[in-house]
Amino acid sequence: MRLRPANVATIARREYLVRARTRSFRVATVFVVAAAILVTLGPLAVRWFDHDSTAKVGVHVGTTLAFDPVARLDATVNLPATPDGAGPFTFSTVADAAVGRDSVAKGDLSAMLDITRDPAGDLAFTIVSKDGPTLRVPTLLRQASSVLATTDRLLRGGYPADQLSALGIPPAVTVEGPTPAAPGEKPKDFAGEVGGALTGQALVIFLFIAIVLYGQWVAMSVAEEKSSRVMEIVLNAASPFELLAGKVIGVGALGLTQYVAAMVPAVVAFLLQDRIASLLLGAAASTGSAASGLSTGLLVAFAVLFVLGFLLYAVLYAAAGSLVSRVEDINSVVAPMTMVGMAGYFIAVYTASGLIPADAGWVVVLSYVPFVSPYLMLSRFAAGQAGALDLALASGLLVVAIVVCLWVAARIYAAGVLTHGQKPGARALFTAAFASRR
Amino acid sequence: MSLQITDLRKRFGETQALDGITFGMEPGTVFGFLGANGAGKTTTMRIVLDILRADSGTVTWQGTPSTDLPRRTFGYLPEERGLYPRMQVLEQLVFFAGLYGVPRRTAAADVRGWLTRFRVPEYADRRAEELSKGNQQKVQFIAAVLHDPDVLIMDEPFSGLDPVNVALLKAAFLEMRERGKTLIFSTHQMETVEELCDAVAIIDAGRLVANGPTADVKRASGKRVVRLGVAGDPELPWLADLDGVHVGRAGRDYSEIEVIPPRDPETILHAAIERGERVTRFEIADPSLEQVFVDLVGRQAAPDEERTLAGLPANGGA
Repeated sequence: MRLRPANVATIARREYLVRARTRSFRVATVFVVAAAILVTLGPLAVRWFDHDSTAKVGVHVGTTLAFDPVARLDATVNLPATPDGAGPFTFSTVADAAVGRDSVAKGDLSAMLDITRDPAGDLAFTIVSKDGPTLRVPTLLRQASSVLATTDRLLRGGYPADQLSALGIPPAVTVEGPTPAAPGEKPKDFAGEVGGALTGQALVIFLFIAIVLYGQWVAMSVAEEKSSRVMEIVLNAASPFELLAGKVIGVGALGLTQYVAAMVPAVVAFLLQDRIASLLLGAAASTGSAASGLSTGLLVAFAVLFVLGFLLYAVLYAAAGSLVSRVEDINSVVAPMTMVGMAGYFIAVYTASGLIPADAGWVVVLSYVPFVSPYLMLSRFAAGQAGALDLALASGLLVVAIVVCLWVAARIYAAGVLTHGQKPGARALFTAAFASRR
Repeated sequence: MSLQITDLRKRFGETQALDGITFGMEPGTVFGFLGANGAGKTTTMRIVLDILRADSGTVTWQGTPSTDLPRRTFGYLPEERGLYPRMQVLEQLVFFAGLYGVPRRTAAADVRGWLTRFRVPEYADRRAEELSKGNQQKVQFIAAVLHDPDVLIMDEPFSGLDPVNVALLKAAFLEMRERGKTLIFSTHQMETVEELCDAVAIIDAGRLVANGPTADVKRASGKRVVRLGVAGDPELPWLADLDGVHVGRAGRDYSEIEVIPPRDPETILHAAIERGERVTRFEIADPSLEQVFVDLVGRQAAPDEERTLAGLPANGGA
């Protein structure tokens, strides 16, 4: 099989330019960029919409209390998220329970907390709300009720009233691994691992979308070329191998362009999230931990696995595209590859989210197996379970798989592009791949 | 021989598509490659171009195996017509030429020259899908010759062209022959072959049934044709009494009579004079290529099914 780089470049260039000029590509790119920014800033938007909406709750006291329930609630469950912000509730006292119920019914109050005392002397609570017991306001008021009940019991038992405020101060807690870090060794970074796992999960999703989306482009491009019958003219000038390589590189580069176009503003928005938050929500709204999971090493791993994973799938998508005579038939021939990719993707996402232990033997083994390794190795690397050597080994195996698949794919492709009107089957595939073609 | 095809064999599953095809031609020849549908013409062409590999046999050009030749040796106009529908004509022709290593600027200038020659200079900036089928075919022909190949191989180059465009294409063929290029084409239009081709090969079911200079192939059957005109007696009923004589075409002015050996064509003239007929025309000629083809292949040559840009599935085998 001959390979002249000049031909590969010419084919890749055509593929890139012609596709980039289509209206559908431009519209899709604008859409993807907008979607990426929206998704990144989505949580911020939710906070912005929420940030000064508080639930009005009326408190009716139908018994005698040794403390002010509203002051007690404001000091415990109604703490603002930011120093100059407001808590989730605005509490007020209601003199008459019936009037309170009316206000809830009319929507003037989100809920009413009715405090009475049972025969045993303990406080009893009724939450009047239009929301069901599992929704946010009733759930928070249930917590509020136990704070009030505990306060009441403490005071009845003789706890000094002036020390109530100290009750809510959280104790100091540290979490560490079973073996303390040796002198000079960095302590295990639990927070970093959690951040890494979450970032890894996000990156696995990005990787999956990119491979499936741009892989489909390659298959489409091959099928279009075949159905327009232009293939034979090109085949006299370029070998199937060159055509395949040029297509994968051209479409891959275009996919990468769209991807970078979407990722750059999204990453910038992500990194600037804190600043945007402080601008919109006030100086102290930043959480400071947004980018904690993203490291240079992880970005390098992502880039390597992205390129190798795409190449591996793209050559097979191209071979699959060459087997159909009509563009509409693509979905059925690419289905097996998409299924394998989905399997890797789901295992990786479940691993990252903790549903599957990341150190399970079969997950570790699979993380080196081409086709699923791009997802699994990325997930394990992000969670700190795999290092540079593991990444290098998985990448090496991927490169070997790419070379083998390229060889097989070029053969299927060479035979497939000259065959029209035959249903692709396993036998046809085998014959095509191993018949004597150039 | 400069293009030499030797003992090509190719099997697709149960079908023996080519069964020992051997022929050759000198440089500067216009060569007709004839056969019925499915005879193996396209397969042979694809093997010559190294798009397909033969099971056995060789193809050489100037002594070099075709597998070792630079790609730009050959130009190819496939039977499966196709262009990139949404690419502009100029842009895609420059792309095709680029694959053969022709610089973009040179290619663009040549494309404009060819389009002008084919009387469609305004098509340079149109998308291929906006062109009529005949005009797309001209664009495809340009794609095949832009890199100035030594050997031009064309599968049915005239199908779907109107007479004006056929004439333009024939003129281009002859001009390329003047420049020493070798042209091989398949067609079902036998008059075109007789008009243009120095030599022909006829294949049937993967086997070569005739090969050589066009005149020799026509004569090799041994048959002669006599055109006989007789005043006042267009029916020539007395011919039925002669052995080795078959009226191929009866006409008012003259009749065309196939003469089968060992009968000597001149005996027909003698027979007419003996009967006291007044002979107005007597001519001994070779049989037409059409007749030779029908005799050898057993059926008329017919065009293959039509192929278009958005072509329907067709067989990809022989």
